[in-house]
Amino acid sequence: MTTSRALSSALLVAASIASLSLGACDREEPAVGLFLYNEADPYIREFAKQIMEESGNTFTPVQYDAGNSQLIQNEQLESMLSKHPALMMINPVDRLSSHSIVRKLQAEGIPGIFFNREPLSADLALWEKTYYVGARAEQSGQLQAQLVMQLFGGHPKNLNDYDRNGDGRIQAIILKGEQGHQDAEIRTREVLRSFEAAGFMMEVLALEIANWNRDEAYAKMGNLLRDYQLQVELVVSNNDAMALGAISMMRQAGMFQDTNQNGRIDRADDLWIPVVGIDGLQEAEKSIAEGYLYGTVKNDSLSMAKAIVELSGIVLGRIDPATAQYPLEDGTYIWIDYRPFVSEE
Amino acid sequence: MRKPSISIGLSIFIATLGIVAVILLLTSLVFRAVFSQTLDDVVESQSREINKQIVMNFEGYINSVIETANYIQFASFDLDAEVDAATLTELYQTNADMKKDVVAVFLFDDSGRPVIGPTLDFSLGDSVVELPWFLLARDLKEIFHFSAAGESSIAGDRDEGVISVSKSIEYTRNGLVADGVLLIELNDGSITDLASKTNLGDGGHLLILDDQDSLLYSSESAPGTMSAASYPLARSLYLGGMRAEIERVDMYLYVNTLLHTRWRIVTVSNVDEINGAVHRLSGILMAIFVAAVAVSAAVAGIISLRVSRPVTQLRKVMRRIEEGDFSVPVVVAGQKEIVLLAHSFSSMVQKIQELMARLVAEQREKRKTELRALQNQINPHFLYNTLDSIVWLAENQRTNDVITTVVALARLFRISISKGENFIPVQDEIAHVKNYLTIQTIRYQGKFTYELELEPGMADMKVMKLILQPLVENAIQHGVGDDDGHIAIRGMIEGDGMVFRVSNTGYGIPGSKIAEMYETMRGGAEHPSVGMRNVYQRLKLYYGEQSDITISSVQDESTTMTIFIPLDNREGRQP
Repeated sequence: MTTSRALSSALLVAASIASLSLGACDREEPAVGLFLYNEADPYIREFAKQIMEESGNTFTPVQYDAGNSQLIQNEQLESMLSKHPALMMINPVDRLSSHSIVRKLQAEGIPGIFFNREPLSADLALWEKTYYVGARAEQSGQLQAQLVMQLFGGHPKNLNDYDRNGDGRIQAIILKGEQGHQDAEIRTREVLRSFEAAGFMMEVLALEIANWNRDEAYAKMGNLLRDYQLQVELVVSNNDAMALGAISMMRQAGMFQDTNQNGRIDRADDLWIPVVGIDGLQEAEKSIAEGYLYGTVKNDSLSMAKAIVELSGIVLGRIDPATAQYPLEDGTYIWIDYRPFVSEE
Repeated sequence: MRKPSISIGLSIFIATLGIVAVILLLTSLVFRAVFSQTLDDVVESQSREINKQIVMNFEGYINSVIETANYIQFASFDLDAEVDAATLTELYQTNADMKKDVVAVFLFDDSGRPVIGPTLDFSLGDSVVELPWFLLARDLKEIFHFSAAGESSIAGDRDEGVISVSKSIEYTRNGLVADGVLLIELNDGSITDLASKTNLGDGGHLLILDDQDSLLYSSESAPGTMSAASYPLARSLYLGGMRAEIERVDMYLYVNTLLHTRWRIVTVSNVDEINGAVHRLSGILMAIFVAAVAVSAAVAGIISLRVSRPVTQLRKVMRRIEEGDFSVPVVVAGQKEIVLLAHSFSSMVQKIQELMARLVAEQREKRKTELRALQNQINPHFLYNTLDSIVWLAENQRTNDVITTVVALARLFRISISKGENFIPVQDEIAHVKNYLTIQTIRYQGKFTYELELEPGMADMKVMKLILQPLVENAIQHGVGDDDGHIAIRGMIEGDGMVFRVSNTGYGIPGSKIAEMYETMRGGAEHPSVGMRNVYQRLKLYYGEQSDITISSVQDESTTMTIFIPLDNREGRQP
């Protein structure tokens, strides 16, 4: 009898050990993963914050930072997938890796919302429950061109005083993000194409690659000003950071002055030439308000975050698709428009 | 009470051994599970790291290719393909020559006609529009296309296997921006070089699959059986890893995407070492288990023996005491509790012994008292009768008879007293009866005669005193009438006892009277013969149940009373 008691107590211990590993399973809240390509990117950081805030009352995504490495992101995806999440929100590091990710999601039957970096449409078509929320890259370049054309009077044959030398052509410096980078290529191509389509005569004095980087743009602008300070009538930058870097160098070269002492930089002055960026960083908005930066094209991350959260709600079955503010196109895409941002003079 | 269960010693032994075995077994199993899980994790994460390292090597390589492509692309936009043709051609050539893995670099216009680059292979004519890399690049402009379908170089002067990297680009021609396709051909040996640098263990290998799951590359040297088995598994693996047994070897497959391509790299690592380690551990655990169980069995055995031995000893002692043998010493060595118990038991036994001894002593005392009381009862009756007859003799002036009677009475009393002894020699008892008869003969004036006969050997034997006189008294009472009566007293040894017979002539006693006499002797009614009853009870008291008095009678002839005293008890039961 003593033996049997000892045995039963041992079994009890074993059972309690086993029960520890079980339990703690079912939770009300659906498991949702938010995968970011790189939190060091301030735009992504803000974007993630907006998504977290918007989703606050419906679900709480688990956030992962890939640190700009697809290998790390793959591991993060794998680890989340093993927990059978209800939804994955993915900002891929490498858009082509999305091919494998989509196939994995399909194999596991888990829906995925991609954002910020667009997978190939052929890859998104592989699994009906994958979506993309983002902006059309071309639109940013087109809007950027429109801002410039607006400033120059809107008529290609009749440029206003901003054509400083009055030759009917706009002498421009282009700051390109990254050679071969999809966004850089598209933005550059589209801004030039838009001028051409509208009949504006452009003369590209220089096309410089500054890798989206403020400091690099600042440094490179130094050389460009040495060569072109007297000719340049326009600086087009693929993003705000490079535009701000360029402005720093231009100010150092004596440009941008408050001639009439009204506390704002004066555009009428020959020392002011328009610089346009893309993204709508807070610092860019400040610079616009002070009169340095002419304008920017805002990537409307707040609307995107709202669209992502709304779409998540639909995917999770919590929101009726009929009431959606951001309807799906082709059952896959939600496009959020870029918005031009300039200050009134 | 429950039915007797197993002994203390055995239950201690079984319990100890059981607990040790169960705990040890559980610990071993848990340890083994944790160990093999940890080992699994370690080896798998090692495999993942190797995979990542390989992928990073490839990424580095692909990045450098793309960097080259971007540089060429930028130059093609910057320089005019027509105006600066010579410079651009040289730049293309330089890039092809500078990197040993670059076979050739081409620029085609969007109709597939060559713009810059080495002379095309003769068979192609002057258009590559039908080739897959060209179609891909035109189809999807934003990305680089890698095709490794085992093509060979399209350059006229080269004939090696290449990987084609193509991309739609914009270039400047005669001052205008034009769409074209850039093609960089890479030596397909570059992949082999990258893959061969890593160690995936015995039989481990690397597979590269494209977006159609076609096998682009396998690092297995000979057209292998290993990759034949791993390829179907790799096809269904998109992210993460899995364990699989390939060709009876434990393998871990891990997949990663390759940057800028839709390819995936699958590493198949040998993780068989896990099994070996787990087996070794199991062996060690088994050995520990057996050793520990053996040791605890020995210890449990010793402990249970030490506990149970004194208990068993105590039990033996108790059993003997149960059987009435109080002489056994209660000596038990062992555990403190048991020794204390034995001590308590010992003092209890002592107490019982004392109580019993006291009881026996009290009983003996009581018996003596009773005996004396019975002895003393004789005297008054007889004294009264004798004094009566002395008075009668004196009244009749029979002086001689008075003297004889008084002398006989004095002797009788001396024997009666016998210095307080209860047991006297048979001859004294006979002398006593003789004195009594002397007194009675005088009293009854020769109305009866008597004879005394004693077996010679009996004279010195001891017998309880004053047993014959009451019988003789009774015989006189019944046997002496008008005619001459005769009383015979005989002592002899018969069988295992002394027998005294007292017979008298006369009418005899009827059976009913005999029964009444027996009844009287055994303590019933007081009447009539106080003396007979006295003798009977004393006999029983001193000599036990074997001793007896029997009465037999022949009608109109004689009556005989017989005393039987067992020989071994003839001196009584007490010292």
